[in-house]
Amino acid sequence: MTHTNPSIPRFRAGSILTALVPMAAILLCGARAKQITLPVETVFLTPSALPGYVYASGFCAPCHSADYMRYQPQTLSLAAWKAEVIKMRDKFGAPIPPEAVDPIADYLVKTYGAERNAPPPAKDAP
Amino acid sequence: MNPIRLDRRQFIQGAGALALGAALRGRLGADPSEGVTLPFANGERELVAYPQKRPLIRLSARPPQLETPFGVFNNGAITPNDAFFVRYHLSGIPTEIDPATYRLRVRGAVDHPLELSLGELKQLGEPVEMVAVNQCSGNSRGFFVPRVPGGQLGNGAMGNARWTGIPLKKVLEKAGMNAGANQITFEGLDRPVLPGTPEFVKALEADHAMDGEVMLAYAMNGEDLPMLNGYPLRLIVPGCYGTYWVKHVSDITVLDHVFTGFWMASAYRIPDNPTHSVAPGETPKNTIPIGRLAVRSFFTSLRDGDRLSAGRETTLRGIAFDGGSGIRAVAVSADGGQTWADARLGDDLGRYSFREWTFPLRPAAGACEFKVRATTQAGETQPLEAGWNPSGYMRNVVESVRVEAV
Repeated sequence: MTHTNPSIPRFRAGSILTALVPMAAILLCGARAKQITLPVETVFLTPSALPGYVYASGFCAPCHSADYMRYQPQTLSLAAWKAEVIKMRDKFGAPIPPEAVDPIADYLVKTYGAERNAPPPAKDAP
Repeated sequence: MNPIRLDRRQFIQGAGALALGAALRGRLGADPSEGVTLPFANGERELVAYPQKRPLIRLSARPPQLETPFGVFNNGAITPNDAFFVRYHLSGIPTEIDPATYRLRVRGAVDHPLELSLGELKQLGEPVEMVAVNQCSGNSRGFFVPRVPGGQLGNGAMGNARWTGIPLKKVLEKAGMNAGANQITFEGLDRPVLPGTPEFVKALEADHAMDGEVMLAYAMNGEDLPMLNGYPLRLIVPGCYGTYWVKHVSDITVLDHVFTGFWMASAYRIPDNPTHSVAPGETPKNTIPIGRLAVRSFFTSLRDGDRLSAGRETTLRGIAFDGGSGIRAVAVSADGGQTWADARLGDDLGRYSFREWTFPLRPAAGACEFKVRATTQAGETQPLEAGWNPSGYMRNVVESVRVEAV
């Protein structure tokens, strides 16, 4: 691709700035600094009317992407998921309040685990 | 390039490259058709190209965990840098590192605390080279029956590279490690998101750290380490599971006691018995930190469901490795394990390396089950039935491949 290629779209001021800032940062910080940009996340928590979905979004998602849940064995029981939630609270310092533990485990087992075909709750989706 | 004199032409080239990169990332990241299915339930995964990497099997995005597509292992004993697996524990990973300001600190029970630049580190001794396998403790966890929670990996969380660096012993000698040293801890630049999450710190026994083989590597297969494999400096613990191979290592602390941090005392622990296994579903009574690699062997030229030409000579290929005694023999069975014959071993790249093997045969028509089993110089071999432990570590069962010759 060269500057004479007529197929290059015109860049809006915003995109010029967006492109220039990291380029300038590389140049100003010294040519030898190694810098990478990570690809985007593509797996997100499955939306649900279950109350645990909101808790999980608040207490799980800040530290890790949802592929951690999505790819777990779909055989994991409620007890296994609850053990994971408690491990995240007690060992990894997730500030999960007591009233959120059971709802998060319930959401996870019904979304990713052994009860994922359980009938949906009567409550409408938010 | 001087930033002040960046002209329009240079700018458009740069911006075009960025836009192209974004387009590529979008295609590889977002299109679910760009994927693979690992051979266990819920094994669908995306293939995603990360910086300095070809498309790899993504286990998680934040923090990044990437698995090598298994076909790579059929291309030679050395795993290319751009195909080497990636495993982080904490989401605060470094994405920009300036080697000019990078420092390695050595503190604790030493006479002379150090703060070494990369240049100073390289002047501590002659560089050493070693080919060694790095394998994730949980490699192959997805094959556990019954399944266990954790990263659901296929067999691709391993790789074999030629590492260049300075023996850790040289650094500890320079610091004047005290006679009462018990364990040495290692920490890199990756950080937890929350203050309550334990920082990723690993420990080695002082004797182990001083064995002359444990290395601070700055090159991998003759090049700088890829950022995601620990640029600019990584601990190499030959023969041991990858959990000890701390990336972006920046802090070494000599302790006069046993380290009790989470990543040693609670995580990465295995049953304290000879097979490091328990009955499925059981919780081990006593555990120890994971250590040496269990012996393994794989077919690389064949996978389940492949077809061979009956009556035509073909050559099966694969790899074997262990925790450092070296591979003495690799045996192949073409009849589901009833009879075995020795494979021919390939070049010996060192006792910590993958050892390639080949096995010529003329398959008879029909379905058959191949098995492969390695034996180490120390006499250790692989079990015919898989062991089980609740964390899904150290899988090393004899691998089987079912094929049909027609």
